[in-house]
Amino acid sequence: MAGDNTDVHHHKEYTGSLTEPEDSWAKQLFSRRLIFVMGKGGVGKTTVSIALGKAAVRYKKKVLLLEIGDTDAIGSIFNKKILTEVPLKLSANIWGARVNPKAELTAYTKAYVNSGFIANRITKSRLFDYLAEATPGLKEVMCLGRIWRWERSKSEQLENTFDLIIVDAPATGHALSLLRLPDVLINMIRGGPLVTQIRRLQNLFKDHRKTCILLVTLPEELPANEAIEFYCLAQDELHMQVAATFINCVYPLLFDDGDVLQIKHMKDQHDKNLPNPHHAILETALRQIKRRNIQQIYIDRIRSKTTSHVKEIPFYFTNDLSLSEIEELL
Amino acid sequence: MIDRISDPDGPKIIVCCGSGGVGKTTLSAAIGLYGALSGKKTIVLTIDPARRLADALGLTDFNVDAQRVPIEQISDITRPFDGQLYAMMLDPKRTFDHLISRYAPADLQDIIFKNRYYQHLSNNMAGSHEYMAMEKLYEIYHQDKYDLIVLDTPPSRRALDFLEAPDKLLNLLGNNFFLKMFKPYLHAGRFGMRVFNILAFPVLRAVGKVIGSQVLDDLAGFMQLWNDVLFEGFSRRAETVKNLLSSNMTLFLAIATPQHLPMTEAVFLYEKLRQNNMPFGGFVINRVHVGGGNMAIIDTDRLGMAELFHNESADPKLTEKLSITYKNYQKMSESDARAINALIKKIGPSVDIMQMPIEEGEIAQLNDLVRLSRRF
Repeated sequence: MAGDNTDVHHHKEYTGSLTEPEDSWAKQLFSRRLIFVMGKGGVGKTTVSIALGKAAVRYKKKVLLLEIGDTDAIGSIFNKKILTEVPLKLSANIWGARVNPKAELTAYTKAYVNSGFIANRITKSRLFDYLAEATPGLKEVMCLGRIWRWERSKSEQLENTFDLIIVDAPATGHALSLLRLPDVLINMIRGGPLVTQIRRLQNLFKDHRKTCILLVTLPEELPANEAIEFYCLAQDELHMQVAATFINCVYPLLFDDGDVLQIKHMKDQHDKNLPNPHHAILETALRQIKRRNIQQIYIDRIRSKTTSHVKEIPFYFTNDLSLSEIEELL
Repeated sequence: MIDRISDPDGPKIIVCCGSGGVGKTTLSAAIGLYGALSGKKTIVLTIDPARRLADALGLTDFNVDAQRVPIEQISDITRPFDGQLYAMMLDPKRTFDHLISRYAPADLQDIIFKNRYYQHLSNNMAGSHEYMAMEKLYEIYHQDKYDLIVLDTPPSRRALDFLEAPDKLLNLLGNNFFLKMFKPYLHAGRFGMRVFNILAFPVLRAVGKVIGSQVLDDLAGFMQLWNDVLFEGFSRRAETVKNLLSSNMTLFLAIATPQHLPMTEAVFLYEKLRQNNMPFGGFVINRVHVGGGNMAIIDTDRLGMAELFHNESADPKLTEKLSITYKNYQKMSESDARAINALIKKIGPSVDIMQMPIEEGEIAQLNDLVRLSRRF
């Protein structure tokens, strides 16, 4: 029957669906240490982060999925509890954690203040709470510091280390201020151990062999424009590399121009009669053609305005992708 | 639920909440138009409209004043009406600057504008967007120029942010809290501002060592100004807005699409509002793939496309594509229906839920907004 060829089965060895250039592209992508998955709210960053993690595992990587936004989605998708700052094993070679800036700041202060007595006094004081909340960017710096420490842990050969850290970033605005922060802070803070650490972060983020950004977007006006804008910012201002732009929820391209003419003709025939199944089917097809045409405008725009690898992720016609469906996305 | 707007004694403020990407801005504009078309002088306060929608509303990047939307030009409207529609773009940085120039003494304005902490606060700090939306709401409400204000809340992953952020920010910058806490650490410095006396206190010395003493100085300078000059006005206005939002003049709408995350956020919002006895209007579920109504559910497998189109000259490849497309749509509409049923199960049948069918085209013209508003 007609629908059979839409059910793709590739659970076993995952090699078949990747073409050779894609395969070498993926190899290169997963040879990095740090991937920031960025995009506007609602474009599917979390789903793509998980799909990427799953794909990286196929390339023999041990992956840490890092949640730094304000929602706890990753844990529940894996049917596990809400992630904490301690990495939790989610599935084979995939771990998940959440950055907790306050805990990080506490640990950091204890590490840098020599006297344990004073360090305790600091971290337990209301002043500390206050500074943690109110100091511009301090929480974000702690977030970044945590990422950096996980990155470092591999070369320092600590017990739980990861080949690849995938950061499910908050929505673009916040994520942008996060990535801008090292540059901003270098100008703000004149001295102290934080400056040294921020410089290291800067170096890590701007090292294209180690760190990259993956943009996730939709083939719609706002997300597409925002992605293009962010792409330019990343290149010109952040000097970070955008390794790819993933266009999510792309409708299948089924009908050619001849089909469209035929459908319109058939619909005209039926319009003369009462609504019937034919009408609903034809109407649905025309709507989807219209939608797909609009999507193409934004796909073309993204392709023409970015020089990074562009990948279209097909729409699955469901609100709740299962974990195995997510695995098949990339 | 939205039709309560047309009642002369209906709500005066509509707050559209929802997580990012659910179509808040477009719906806010459509709700505003609905208000205008029911004869009210309406203003839509919006944050980040898509370019073409912004054009349709007459909004540009460089203009933060209220713009009159030429609704008399809408071709579909025949009956006479005396409503008006205005739209205004919210820009946190400009709103903040505007407030400073309005409320701070002239000789201090420059110092504030140059303070790096202020620059950060007005641009980036979590909560500042939401706080500014509140300020604008206060200003417009007290101008008393409009019958209806529709507020599109800032883009955020969490629908609750709008409610919580101003409180958080005010707690942070709370009344004299800063001074009480820092009094022992401060001493008189330049410009009459107190500066941290870092050397004298081991705790601050250690903190300064970690984050840099410059940051502490900037922070101290800003907090000093904040306390002396701005806090009272800010907190009084925030209090007024909070009361306004809790009164029956306001109606909150939880906007979502049928996906898991937006739905969860909308339910959180609803629960939060209910706990605080705040006025909840209902859920608007946007972009629903409607199954019933004029879209017949057809079992294409059972019916057989070939049979269905047996007297057509359509080639079998085309009918197969049509079948795939229709099945996909059915799958999607079933998924949407599941999500909405789960919502009803969670909140009970007494809460209003409005479903907005998905539009395959873009909403870029006033006429499109009219079409949307007819569904209310």
